Amino acid sequence: MHETTLYVLQQLINGLTIGSTYALIAIGYTMVYGIIGMINFAHGEVYMIGTYTAFITIIGLLTMGVGSLPIVLLLALITAVIIASTYGYAVERVAYRPLRGGPRLIPLITAIGMSIFLQNYIRLAQGSRDLAMPVLISGGIEFGDPAVFEVSISWMQLIIWGVTLVAMTALALFISRSRLGRACRACAQDLKMTNLLGIDTNRIIALTFIIGAALAAVAGVLLGLYYGTINPYIGFMAGLKAFTAAVLGGIGSIPGAMLGGLILGVTEALTAAFFPSEYKDVVAFSLLVLILLFRPTGLLGKPEVEKV
Amino acid sequence: MKPTIGLCCKTWLAAALLTSLGVQADTLRIGVAGPVTGPVAQYGDMQKIGAMMAIDRINAAGGVNGMTLEGVIYDDACDPKQAVAVANRIVNDDIRHVIGHLCSSSTEPASDIYEEEGVMMITAASTSPGITEKGYELIFRTIGLDSLQGSLAAAYIRDHVQPQRLAVIHDKQQYGEGLATTVRDLLAQAGTEAVMFEGVTPGDKDFSALIAKLKRNNVDFVYYGGYHPELGLILRQSREKGFDAAFMGPEGVVNSDLAAIAGDAMEGVLATAPKSFDQSPDNAALVDAFKARDEDPSGPFVFPAYTAIQVMTQAIEATGETDPYALASYLRSTRFETTIGEIGFDAKGDLTEPTFQVYRLHADGSKTALD
Repeated sequence: MHETTLYVLQQLINGLTIGSTYALIAIGYTMVYGIIGMINFAHGEVYMIGTYTAFITIIGLLTMGVGSLPIVLLLALITAVIIASTYGYAVERVAYRPLRGGPRLIPLITAIGMSIFLQNYIRLAQGSRDLAMPVLISGGIEFGDPAVFEVSISWMQLIIWGVTLVAMTALALFISRSRLGRACRACAQDLKMTNLLGIDTNRIIALTFIIGAALAAVAGVLLGLYYGTINPYIGFMAGLKAFTAAVLGGIGSIPGAMLGGLILGVTEALTAAFFPSEYKDVVAFSLLVLILLFRPTGLLGKPEVEKV
Repeated sequence: MKPTIGLCCKTWLAAALLTSLGVQADTLRIGVAGPVTGPVAQYGDMQKIGAMMAIDRINAAGGVNGMTLEGVIYDDACDPKQAVAVANRIVNDDIRHVIGHLCSSSTEPASDIYEEEGVMMITAASTSPGITEKGYELIFRTIGLDSLQGSLAAAYIRDHVQPQRLAVIHDKQQYGEGLATTVRDLLAQAGTEAVMFEGVTPGDKDFSALIAKLKRNNVDFVYYGGYHPELGLILRQSREKGFDAAFMGPEGVVNSDLAAIAGDAMEGVLATAPKSFDQSPDNAALVDAFKARDEDPSGPFVFPAYTAIQVMTQAIEATGETDPYALASYLRSTRFETTIGEIGFDAKGDLTEPTFQVYRLHADGSKTALD
C-alpha cells in the first residue's frame, strides 16, 4: 500500500480511538439536555471521578495480589460505574432537582459550582500531582510494510473500540426497546405531558444522570488505562471536548453525540498528522464554530422549540 | 562609576557605626538572605546549611586574615517586596557581603540595592539570565543558567549521538520552547537539521498522532524541551506504538514521577541536570561533615552556597581586603578551586563553566553521569 495511505490509516485509527471515548462522555451531556434542557457542566468531573475510582480499585487489587487481568479490569469497571453513577445521581439530587422550575440560568451556575467543588474535593483528597499506573495491557498488532510505514493497533485501542461498541449498543437497545427507555423518550418529547400521564419524571431525570455518569465512567476507565496518568484536572478538557462533540452532532440527539465524538476525534488526529500538533485544538474548535454557523442545530439535531 | 567621595564617606560612616555599636573589628559578618519561611523555605534551608557549614569550617581552620566569620540569616520569604526590605536592612546593618538571594524574582530587585550601596552579593540559586544582564559590578553567581542546558545538550548530541533524523519537540512554554530552539539552532549550525520541530499542548494526554508522525519521518532521536508529565506519556505511548527512537530532555524531566509514568520506557533517556556535587569523591569528607550534623547535602543549592563563601573568603585572603570592589575585580581575574570544581567568573559575574551535566536515566529512578 502507498505510504501516505498507511499513514492516514494509522491516524484514523488513533482518531477513532479518542473519538469513541469523546462519544461515551458526550452521551451524558446530550441525554440530560434532551430531557431538561440544561448543560450539566459537572459531567466532566464525574468522568474524572470514574477514572480515580478505577485507579484506586486496580492499585488496591494489585497490592492485594489479585493477578488475573480480566478480573482486575472487570472489577475496576464495575466499581467505577457504581461510584460515578452515585455521584451523578447525588449531583442531580443535591444541586439540580431543588432548582427545577426556576430560571434556566440558575442550574447552569450551580453546575459550574458543582464542577469546581468536585475538582477541588478530589484534589484535596487525592493530591494534585499526576498519578501513574503500571502498564497492564501492552502490545498489539502491526501490519503494513515495515520498510514503508508500519501501522500499529494496540490491544488497548481494540479494547476501547470493543467496549464502546458494546456500551453504545446496550444504550441504543435500552432506549428503543425497554419500558424505561420509552419513558426517557417521552420525557424528551414533552416533560410536562409525560408527567401528567403518570410517569414519575423525577425518576426518569435521575436515571438519565445515572446512565450518563455510567458511560462517562466507562470512558474514564478506558482512557485512564490507555494513557496511564490522571490528575484532578482531566475532567475539564475531556468535558469540554465531549460537550463540543455533543453540540457538533446536535445536542439532544444520542446518535448525534456518537457521530460528533467520532468526527471530533478524527479531525484532531488528521490535523495533528498534517499540521503541527499544537494546532489540533484550534482546528477542532474552529470546526465547531463553522458547523454552528451553518447548521445551528448540529449535524443530526432537529430544529426545536424552546424548552422550559 | 561611583564617585570616590561617596564611597569614602560611606566607609567612614560604617567605621563610626561599628565603633559605636561595639562590634569587634575582627569579626566579618556575612548576610545569608533567602526564604526561611513560606512555601519554598526548604530551598532556603539548602542555601543556609551550605553557607553555615562553610563559615564554621573556615572559622575552625582559623578564620580569614585573623577575622572570624559570622553568618547572619535574613528572611525574604521568596517575596520580592520583602527582599527589598531585607536588602535595605542588610545595608543598614552595615553588612558588605551577602550570600543570596534564592528566588530569581527576589534576587533581581535586591541586587539593584546592593550594587548601588556597594555590597557584594553572590547568589547560589537564582538561574534567571536577566539578573546578570544589567552589567552589575558586585553581583555574582555560583550556579549555572538554565539556558546553558541547551548548549550542553546540543554539544552532547553533536559529539556523541550524531542522529540521522533529529526531531525537536517542545511544550510551547518559555522554558521548554527556549531550550528546544537553542538545541535546534545550535545543531543546525553544526550541520544537523531537525526534520521536525513542533509543539505539544501542556496537559495533553494523547500523543498518538504525534508519535505516528515521528514514526513516518523515521526519526531516530528526539530532543524534548519541557517537563516530565508530557515526556512521560510520550515515552509510554511510543513504547506501545513500537516507536523506539532515543530521547533527551532538560532538568525539567528529571523527576521520580517520570519513572512512574513511563515505566520501563524511560530506560536510557538522556537528560541534562545540575551536577550532583555530593556524589563527587572530592567532597566525601564534606558530605560526612553534613551528615554528622544531621543535614542533607544532596539539595541542589547546598554546594553552590558553600562555594559562594569559599570564593569570597579566598578573595579576601588573597587581596588582604574586605572592600567589595577590590574583591569583585579579583573574582573576575582568578580561577578558584572549589567544592563545585575549578571555576572562574566572566565579566557579567556568571560562572565560566556550566554546572550541568548529561545523565542517562534509568527505569529504577537512578541516573549515571556521562561525559
